[in-house]
Amino acid sequence: MMWQNFFKTSVRSLFKRKLYTFINIGGLAIGIACFILLFLFLQNEWTYDRFHTNGKQLFRISSAYGEIDQPLTHTALTPSALAPALKTVPEVQTITRIYPKASLVANGEKAINESRFIYAEAPFFTMFSFPLLEGDPATALSGPNMVVLSASMAEKYFGKSSPTGKMLKIDGKDFMVTGVAKNPPSNTHLKFDFVGSYSSMNITDRWGSANYYTYIQLADKATSNALHDRLTSMIKGMMGSNTKYRFDLIPEPIADIHLYSQSENSTERGGNLQYDYMLAIIAVLLLAVACINFMNLATARSADRAREIGVRKVMGAVKRELFTQFITESAIITFLALVIGTVLSLVLLPWFNNLTQSTIRMHLEWPLIVALIAVFVVTTFLAGAYPAFFLANFKPVQVLKGKTPVGKGAALRKTLVVFQFAAAVFFIICTLVVGQQLYYIQHKKLGQDRSQVVVLNGSRFDNNSLAAFKARLLQQSEISQVSASYDSPVNIGGGYGIGQIQGKPADYSMDVTAIPVEKDYLQTMGIDILAGGKLTDADIQDVTREKQEDRRYHFYLNETAVKQLGWTPTEAVGRTMTMNGRIGSVKGVMKDFHFASMKQKIQPLIVFPEYEWFGEILVKVNGRDPQRALARIEDAWKSYQPGRPFDAHFLDDDFNAMYESEFRAGRLLKVFSGLVILVSCLGLVGLAAFTAEQRTRELGIRKVLGASSSNLVALLSKDYIKLVTISLIVAAPLGAYVMIKWLSGFAYHINLGAGVFVVAGLLAMAIALLTVSLQSVKAALMNPVKSLKSE
Amino acid sequence: MIQLQNITKYYPVGLGRNFILKDIDLTINEGEFVSIMGPSGSGKSTLLHIMGLLEEPSEGQYLFEGERVDKMNEKKRTQLHRGSIGFVFQAYHLIDELTVYENIETPLLYKNVSASERKSRVADVLDRFNIVAKKDLFPNQLSGGQQQLVGIARAIVAEPRVILADEPTGNLHSDQAKSIMELFKELNEKDKITIVQVTHSDVNATYGNRIIQLRDGHIRS
Ligand SMILES: Nc1ncnc2c1ncn2[C@@H]1O[C@H](COP(=O)(O)OP(=O)(O)OP(=O)(O)O)[C@@H](O)[C@H]1O
Ligand SMILES: [Mg+2]
Repeated sequence: MMWQNFFKTSVRSLFKRKLYTFINIGGLAIGIACFILLFLFLQNEWTYDRFHTNGKQLFRISSAYGEIDQPLTHTALTPSALAPALKTVPEVQTITRIYPKASLVANGEKAINESRFIYAEAPFFTMFSFPLLEGDPATALSGPNMVVLSASMAEKYFGKSSPTGKMLKIDGKDFMVTGVAKNPPSNTHLKFDFVGSYSSMNITDRWGSANYYTYIQLADKATSNALHDRLTSMIKGMMGSNTKYRFDLIPEPIADIHLYSQSENSTERGGNLQYDYMLAIIAVLLLAVACINFMNLATARSADRAREIGVRKVMGAVKRELFTQFITESAIITFLALVIGTVLSLVLLPWFNNLTQSTIRMHLEWPLIVALIAVFVVTTFLAGAYPAFFLANFKPVQVLKGKTPVGKGAALRKTLVVFQFAAAVFFIICTLVVGQQLYYIQHKKLGQDRSQVVVLNGSRFDNNSLAAFKARLLQQSEISQVSASYDSPVNIGGGYGIGQIQGKPADYSMDVTAIPVEKDYLQTMGIDILAGGKLTDADIQDVTREKQEDRRYHFYLNETAVKQLGWTPTEAVGRTMTMNGRIGSVKGVMKDFHFASMKQKIQPLIVFPEYEWFGEILVKVNGRDPQRALARIEDAWKSYQPGRPFDAHFLDDDFNAMYESEFRAGRLLKVFSGLVILVSCLGLVGLAAFTAEQRTRELGIRKVLGASSSNLVALLSKDYIKLVTISLIVAAPLGAYVMIKWLSGFAYHINLGAGVFVVAGLLAMAIALLTVSLQSVKAALMNPVKSLKSE
Repeated sequence: MIQLQNITKYYPVGLGRNFILKDIDLTINEGEFVSIMGPSGSGKSTLLHIMGLLEEPSEGQYLFEGERVDKMNEKKRTQLHRGSIGFVFQAYHLIDELTVYENIETPLLYKNVSASERKSRVADVLDRFNIVAKKDLFPNQLSGGQQQLVGIARAIVAEPRVILADEPTGNLHSDQAKSIMELFKELNEKDKITIVQVTHSDVNATYGNRIIQLRDGHIRS
């Protein structure tokens, strides 16, 4: 009954004060929508691989290696011979090796390159909890040439009919479909469309190369520590008393892989805990900023409600009842905002997925429901409690005497506005700095020219077909250079070592990064040579001799390597040296260039021609018409690699992929700092509208006394300038601290200048003033007679 | 019914005190209709607010129906507001967001009156005041006189023992004032409700059976 009375008053007063209601509900809805999106995102991040029934017993064995005294290189890849060696370890119950390999899949004529294709050993579906919709988990991968499809692939290749027992051509071989798996969820690092049986690949067990993932299930009573000890002693047994080199096998709990693994080459790029925390803070802050609008507007408008409160008190309402009434009102607003926010988040989910490069779907599951209820309750009380308390405590006699407690709460209101704007300024600072650093990364002179370089898959070419392909490409006027390399020029990863070098003692050694390349690599990539000469055809003949022992290699060292050796570039040229069994000499010295992430300092690098295997073909095209150039390349590709899909991308994409999480953070920051500003401004509009309205009489009198409109706008804006200045003073050191920390993660970064803070301050000030003055101007332009009459 | 003994009210001003009411002794018996008069600023409203337990006296004792109420806690005071005291204001003070019907019903909600009884009591009052046709209108859709009628209806619906009215006709023209005063007289005579009103009008004052003149914080009868 009483509720009805409250409810009616609330709803009607919300209808009456449309701007106020719009600002409150709008701001909260935006806050809640972002909260939901970020909640889903973080839930996905933080529940990675926690759904496996045996989860606690599942580990990926990763390896760490390197010289003693040097930081170890961590990689998720292990040699194929590891799994058989683990068979004798009592702590290990089950083992599955996984080998991801993009494969050509055909049901009939047309072959499609499927990149989410992994080959796995038989226990895959019993170890991991990827339920099968069709087929037997125990036997689905038990023999060669068997394949399990994800549900969406089953539909893609077989439509509605059941694929089990049917055949697919995979890389030219016939495979039988033995099962259909439920589509793997978005929160696993083992996302697959196809799982082929490992035995189809004829992989021999070798220690020499590490290209495989080894997953194990721990025996019932065993611990991962015991397993680690066992692995360590196993390695000791194999390596003997090697004192120079370290090799370690580390069991990584499957649920920790996404967020905590340090290993490179994982099946999927890991999460970034630092950015995750940033997002969690943004989610909470945005909601807080929206709540502050609510609190500020509610207390500011208290004069409006004062009479009602006074009358109700005189009729015998107690504080508790009034408190309940205003909390009810807050609950109504929050509930409406919750509904709108939920709808908004559903609408925005595809856009958000695009922004974060994720594949989250919204399920109304318990965690989300609980979180939404928590948001509802917390927001209702956070936003509603203070105003409710504030309003319920009005003394009726003051109100009824016509005094409205207008000035009250102004200090708190100002503090909260400062908080909002400090948050906005903080995000502006972060957005600017991150943006600058990302711009710096993309535009810094790297020492090599990655622009207009098309990358093709070179793995299926032999030396003759590559030469012919190259010659064909170079006939096109759109193409200026063609070369090839082992791995991507922007992220060279090969770990090598200089064994001997003329002028150093016989036991000298030095770790270097190195990359086997084709003859024209340095020209194609625009790398400057400081000393020494270009590669000649004779040089190439030296390295392509039939017998390994006859070959003579030509090495290009970078400046850093030469400096580390203690020589000048010219001193280094011509010296004989060996590198991992390759005998040769220093052909030249390259100017330093960035060949890996800017998070690391430039390391010693060796570029050398070697025609064993090229992963990447690099085609430098003329800038005028890249589309036309791509078409030419595709034509040539079709005649040299018939039947293989044409997959080309620009080297820039490879480069940007290295900073994917930074770009993502940059994009998110832009959007969310925009939203923080938007919601803060909404509140400011309300507050300014209210102040202007409240001071209408004063403004009218001043105007009659001769104040100009601009005098009045200045009068109304003065307060806000002060508030924004204070928030700037609060936010600047905080922003500086956080950004300096973030920048220190990069070996190469911009320096934080005063400019950022000036721009952030001016921006915040401009936005605040614009918002406020819209209302002020309206008030200032009003006819004074009208405003005086209204009293 | 109402006994004020040595009631003094002052506000601190600078280092001294600004006395509004000084040593007021006043007894109002059950069934009386008292008019308080006096120049502006003489403390009439303050006196009424003290009687209505909206303000506390600085000194003195106040007995309502024989019980000390001047230092009463908020809970008990609320009980009196719910059951025994009704207010009528110069500015009507209706709740803008509620209809006439809902405005009149509100005191009964605070008194926890059952739904059926609320319905019949509100209907009675609407009927008696001839405002049944207006029951679904909002205050801003009524004339001043009609609003004050609703204000009085709201004040009496909870069947109080006393009505305290601060210049109830201050914003109305004389015709409207007359009907309001007649209504008060009827409530006083028929319903035996004690009425204390503040007024500036000699005519209105004569509707009551006693006039109290307030001057400089003292009563001059
Ligand atoms: N909170 C306060 N602080 C200081 N002085 C006050 C306060 N409230 C009221 N007064 C003073 O008390 C005096 C009496 O006020 P009150 O409202 O009782 O007068 P009144 O007789 O009702 O006048 P009117 O006929 O104009 O309504 C006034 O002079 C007023 O200035
Ligand atoms: Mg008065």
